[in-house]
Parts: sequence; C-alpha cells; structure tokens
Amino acid sequence: MACLPEPATARYHAGDRVKVRTYDPPHHTRAPRYTRGRVGTVMEMHGVHRVPDDVVRGVTPPSSEAVYAVAFAAADLWGEGQHQVIVNLWESYLERQERA
Amino acid sequence: MSGTHTDSSISQQVRDLESTLEQRGVLSGLELDAVIDRFLASASPLNGARLVARAWVDPAFRERLLADGNAAIEELGLSMSGGVQPQLLRVVENTDAVHNVIVCTLCSCYPISILGPSPSWYKSEAYRSRVVRQPRQVLAEFGLSLAEEVELRVWDASAETRYLVLPCRPAGTDGLGEEELAALVTRNGMIGTAAV
Amino acid sequence: MVVARVNDVGGMEGFGPIETDDDGHAFDADWEARVFALNTALVRKGVYTLDEFRDAIERMPPSEYLAASYYERWFFAVRTLLDERGLLA
Repeated sequence: MACLPEPATARYHAGDRVKVRTYDPPHHTRAPRYTRGRVGTVMEMHGVHRVPDDVVRGVTPPSSEAVYAVAFAAADLWGEGQHQVIVNLWESYLERQERA
Repeated sequence: MSGTHTDSSISQQVRDLESTLEQRGVLSGLELDAVIDRFLASASPLNGARLVARAWVDPAFRERLLADGNAAIEELGLSMSGGVQPQLLRVVENTDAVHNVIVCTLCSCYPISILGPSPSWYKSEAYRSRVVRQPRQVLAEFGLSLAEEVELRVWDASAETRYLVLPCRPAGTDGLGEEELAALVTRNGMIGTAAV
Repeated sequence: MVVARVNDVGGMEGFGPIETDDDGHAFDADWEARVFALNTALVRKGVYTLDEFRDAIERMPPSEYLAASYYERWFFAVRTLLDERGLLA
C-alpha cells in the first residue's frame, strides 16, 4: 500500500466513505458515469492536481484539488460481482457519506 | 477500424495541416520527426520489465517502488516527468490473494514511458466498457483464469495517476538473474491481462 | 449545450468481443505517427492543454466518434482545437 503524504488541507482520508455527486455536467469531467451517485471508500490520496472541468471552461486560474483513489464494490456499481473498482476522483466530485 | 476517410485521404489531410502550421510558424516537420523518434526509442515495455525484475530480486527496492513509484524508477534511469502534466506512478502488486488489472474507461490513459505505446485492445470500447463490469470474464478471454478466491481489483486511470501491475514472480525462477527475469515479463502482465 | 460524451463507456454493453491480439506496433500508418507527434508538440508548446484535447475528442458527434479509429479521433481533436484558435485560417 502506498504511503503517499496527505496535505493538511485534504478533506478526505483513507477509510472515509464518500459518495460521488450525481451532477451530470454539460462539460468535460473525469467522474465516469458509472460512479455517479455511488458510495465508495477512500483508499489513498494521489496528489493535488488542476481540476480538468475548470481548465476546459477557461476558469482562470483553475482550481487545484486533492485526487483520491476511491474503491467501489462491484455489487454497489452493477448489482453483482465480487471485485472492486478503484477510480481516481477529484475532491469536488465527492461528498462525505455519513455512516448510517 | 476506419471512419469515412480512406487512408490516403486522411494522410493528405494530415500533410496539409502540417504544411499550414509550418507556414504559419507554429511548428516544423523536423520537430515532429524528433518527437516520433524520441518516443519510439525510449518508450518500451522493456522499461517496465526491468522494474519488475529488480523488484523481484531486491525486496527493499520493491518496497520503494510500491511506496513511491516516481522516485523509485529514477534509480533505473527512468522517469515520469517527460510528459506535459505531472503524473503519479502507482505500482500495484499481485499476490496469491489479489490480482490487479488496469483500464482507462474514459479514454486510454496508460504509462507510455514505462510500457511503450498501448495495445489497440486497451484503447477499444469493448475492453474499456467490460473490464470494470466483468473482469473475470475479460481476463479469461485473454487466457488468464483466476481461482475464485483471488480478489480482483480493477484500477480506472481517470486522473493523472498511471498504474503499473507488479506481477507475481513465477515459480521455479530462483536461479535466474535479473536480465533473465525481465525477459519473462510481458506487457500484458504489467497491465494485468496476463499472469506475468 | 449538453454533449453526449459517448467516450464514457465504463459498464456499457454492446461493444462486442475484445480483439486480444495485438501486433505491438505503435502506429498502423505514417499519418498516425504524424498526428501523435502533432498533438504532443502542440501540447508541449502550450497551444492547448491535454484536458482541452480530451474535451475536443469528447465533443465529436457520437456516431462519428464510434465510427472513427483511434488516431482519426486524435486528428479531429487537433484540427478542432487549431481551428477554434484561429490557427488554420
């Protein structure tokens, strides 16, 4: 398991449950549709990067945010399967999912 | 699979575009030649195979590779910083209990400097759509069948991270040197569609 | 304007079998290598970003995207981006 340093300002940490925003933007984004509205677990943080949604819309300067590797259970994505799908998602694609 | 253009038609369009850009001083044919040459010369799966072999023989290197791929690969003269945007190299390790496979569902992001150009199937809608949903079946189509109890992890390279699979060292290879071990490692093994 | 972004195929069905054979060549024709080099050089020079390049591919009309080969899509994007920046006039 990578021990990549998390900046103090990262909103999420390994083990956090997060939900991908359901918003379907009318512009380039990097949250695949199969993750929208789905809940996963943050595995690790993969650095801070410019948000592509901002870059293509000419937002100046574009935001830079933490990017997370978020693990989803196949059953939660497709209703079947034993595997995990780990997706890299920018912080603003996510919202915290409180445990029930 | 080709679109409505014949190859000769599109190749003429590409030449015309290059001429236009050259005339406007945006860039030159020589620059393009240099890009192609450098790419073909330096980007190859032999790079990844060397990393895998070193990780197999040197446990401390393996730890460094898993902890910080960007730094560790520089020990072998490789780098992720040749590209235009900072990329993080995350090496994911296969074990007896876990098998990893890589995809970019949104386009075709791939660790080109470590593995060379990506195979056509990696870029195809067929692979990108199915491997996140039915990875076991997809791997079987590549001739890889995994025991039921092996946990499958599919990594979707949807941001700036580029993934490399560290395959399991095959049994019966204890006597082999690093170069011989590197020769056993295939590109598909480092994507996850083969055992090694 | 909402664009279909048919590139976002994770989990979709109907794309047929995966052609697992691969000859290992980077490019099937010279023009593909030129397109690769064009895009690489233009991004390096800062004419446009990789994000804008991906966005341009995604803005292809869906039927054209699906019918186009990999480097045909690249060429579409390069031409679109240059055109939008007035570099082809």
